[in-house]
Amino acid sequence: MTLLSPAPRAAAAARPRRILLLGNPNTGKTTLFNRLCGLRAKTANFPGTTTDLRRGRMQIAAADGGSAALEVVDLPGLYSLELDLPESRVAAEALAAADGVAPAAAIVVVDATNLNRHLMLVGELAPRAVPFVVALNMIDLARRRGLTFDLGRMARALGAPVIAVAARSGEGVDGLIGALADVLSGAAPRGVPDLPPAGDESLEAWAERVVVASVGGVHAVGGESDTVLDRLDETFTHPFLGLVIFHAVMAVLFWTIFALATVPMDLIEAVFANLGSFLEGHLPAGAVRDMLVGGLIGGVSGTVVFLPQICLLFFLITLLEDTGYLARAAFVMDRLLYRFGLPGYAFVPLLSSHACAIPGILSTRLIPDRHDRFATILVAPFMSCSARLPVYVLLTSFLFPGSPALAGLAFTGCYLLGAVAAMGSAFLARRTLLPGKSRPMVLELPTYKWPSLRVAFANALEQGWAFLTTAGTVIVALSFVMWWLSAYPKATPPAEVTALAARAEALVARAPAEAAELGAEAERLTLRHQQETSFAGRLGRGVEPVFAPLGYDWRLSIGVLTSFAAREVFVSTLAVLVGAPEADDGAGVLERIQSATRDDGTPLLTTATAVSLLVFFVLAMQCVSTLVTVRRETRSWRWPLLQFAWMSGLAWVGAFVAYQGLGWLGVA
Amino acid sequence: MGERSELPPPTGGGSESLRLSELATGRPARLHAGDLDPGEACLLQAMGLVTGSRLVVRVTGDPCIVEVRTTRIGLARSVAERLHVVVDRSPERR
Repeated sequence: MTLLSPAPRAAAAARPRRILLLGNPNTGKTTLFNRLCGLRAKTANFPGTTTDLRRGRMQIAAADGGSAALEVVDLPGLYSLELDLPESRVAAEALAAADGVAPAAAIVVVDATNLNRHLMLVGELAPRAVPFVVALNMIDLARRRGLTFDLGRMARALGAPVIAVAARSGEGVDGLIGALADVLSGAAPRGVPDLPPAGDESLEAWAERVVVASVGGVHAVGGESDTVLDRLDETFTHPFLGLVIFHAVMAVLFWTIFALATVPMDLIEAVFANLGSFLEGHLPAGAVRDMLVGGLIGGVSGTVVFLPQICLLFFLITLLEDTGYLARAAFVMDRLLYRFGLPGYAFVPLLSSHACAIPGILSTRLIPDRHDRFATILVAPFMSCSARLPVYVLLTSFLFPGSPALAGLAFTGCYLLGAVAAMGSAFLARRTLLPGKSRPMVLELPTYKWPSLRVAFANALEQGWAFLTTAGTVIVALSFVMWWLSAYPKATPPAEVTALAARAEALVARAPAEAAELGAEAERLTLRHQQETSFAGRLGRGVEPVFAPLGYDWRLSIGVLTSFAAREVFVSTLAVLVGAPEADDGAGVLERIQSATRDDGTPLLTTATAVSLLVFFVLAMQCVSTLVTVRRETRSWRWPLLQFAWMSGLAWVGAFVAYQGLGWLGVA
Repeated sequence: MGERSELPPPTGGGSESLRLSELATGRPARLHAGDLDPGEACLLQAMGLVTGSRLVVRVTGDPCIVEVRTTRIGLARSVAERLHVVVDRSPERR
């Protein structure tokens, strides 16, 4: 029976057959995954583990001339299936069908320029029952280095087809898919690998024998000095220069985000402002119109407007990671982290936390020492995540209007403040709750290469979509709640406001300009009275005393309060609280918040309150999902509660010092 | 750090052993012994750095960057100080 005969294919219609993609770190495995699955990939929790794995779908030619869908699972990069490391355990469990789904085949990705070590993983896989294809990746780079390959001989030694590919350019990918189809259909019978007895050292000797027999070229085994590479490594890991370069790279990164995102953000704001005006002009006045314009449009625009920045952040970080620079930066940071009691391994979790603390905290599983790991988990949420971006954008663009360079600098300052707070907190934790020294760094340094725009684009889209679907849904739901709380109970305008409106009405014919002015004033006073007497107004006034020393009125207080569920909610809450746009003003959500006034007519935001809010949002623990994740990872409520109390207390004190300090200096 | 894991002694040779952190840039050597904890030894082994592996230091200092075949591995100075190598005078294999 062929593997793709009608009967199993019918069964597979319900669940596609699974293909595992495995290989050492830095083999271009994810690039190949994106080639095979296009942009249909998604990350998911693998059954039995909480390690994030990438899954995707691909189509493959079936024996009957049609096509069949396959599920491709991109396993984490691993050096060996036998090591007592999380990534090795995940791969071994996937191969052994620990979740009940047996893999139909595997694709082992090996680096053609570094075959000896990578073939050892093939040697470990070969005795197992899963049929496989070897993707000899980076063949273009290997050719440039003068390497030649006898693929037939190598295939005989490995007992599996070997296909030369360059995942970046797509070269050989069709051939790989064809070989996979042959393996699945049984057209390519499995060979018997020429394996030595088990044991790493003999496996190493075997890998070397295979390389010597099937690879030709002057650099096939061993390498010569590469002066440019050595100098780059020396510079990027230099104690002083490396640090300067790292900060310069980060500053350019954030400046680019700020400068480039302005155009699409303005466009999105204009679209939503026009949509709001359109609905106001075409829908009859009433609760439904208010709900749609104030609740839905206000909430959605407060979310979608930040999508360009989030996509750009991930696009640029992926590009940077792809160049090979970040591994060098890890060593620069190791020297710094070590002084504060964190291991160099914490660099990747902490960097990931700039996107979202949750994947950052999950990736701390790769930190071998428990105290090192817990210290990293405790401070990871100090790193400025993408959920803080909306608040940073609102406040830095308020502080430095029309100056992307200064706003970018302030942005970088927020990231630095978070990092400094993290280091200080780690230092304290390692001297009190989690005593001990951190483990020194050992890391493979990938080859420098031009980054792949395709991979960066795919990752940016994936992360942008994740932001919209996870954070976005929470934001929209809370926006509705906030709109309802601010719109009800309906209040009758005070007598003087009614009298003002009546005077405006009476003046329409005689003095239209004055009538319009009085009418607008009456409308503003009505809206303010409605907000003051609404549920939101009462709630805001209830918590206002807590936040008043930080410079916040009841609107800002309630914005801060709701953002304890999720930080992103702050801007959309304010967007709802400052009211719907006037039908003809066309102002965007940020502009409306920035120009809003308090009950006494003074501006809602001043320099001092904006700085105070920035400090508060940099430092506060405002994410329920992160707290739940910390509870799961530490198996105790002690750590998330400590984290919440410490971070939020620090945020209050920091914001208080900033606001009062600026007030003392005369900055209003 | 827990229990220590010492790499086994070298086979043959007789050259003088020195710390990896003391090895000059560009000078080939073979890994001879190490005083590492099991986790560190396991990771180095997986990266292809085992007893007898031929290596070249590409960048000295912290980190010490070594090349094992075509793999570059960065080692914190404290790790490089605990690895012992013997200078390899044999011609490079092709």
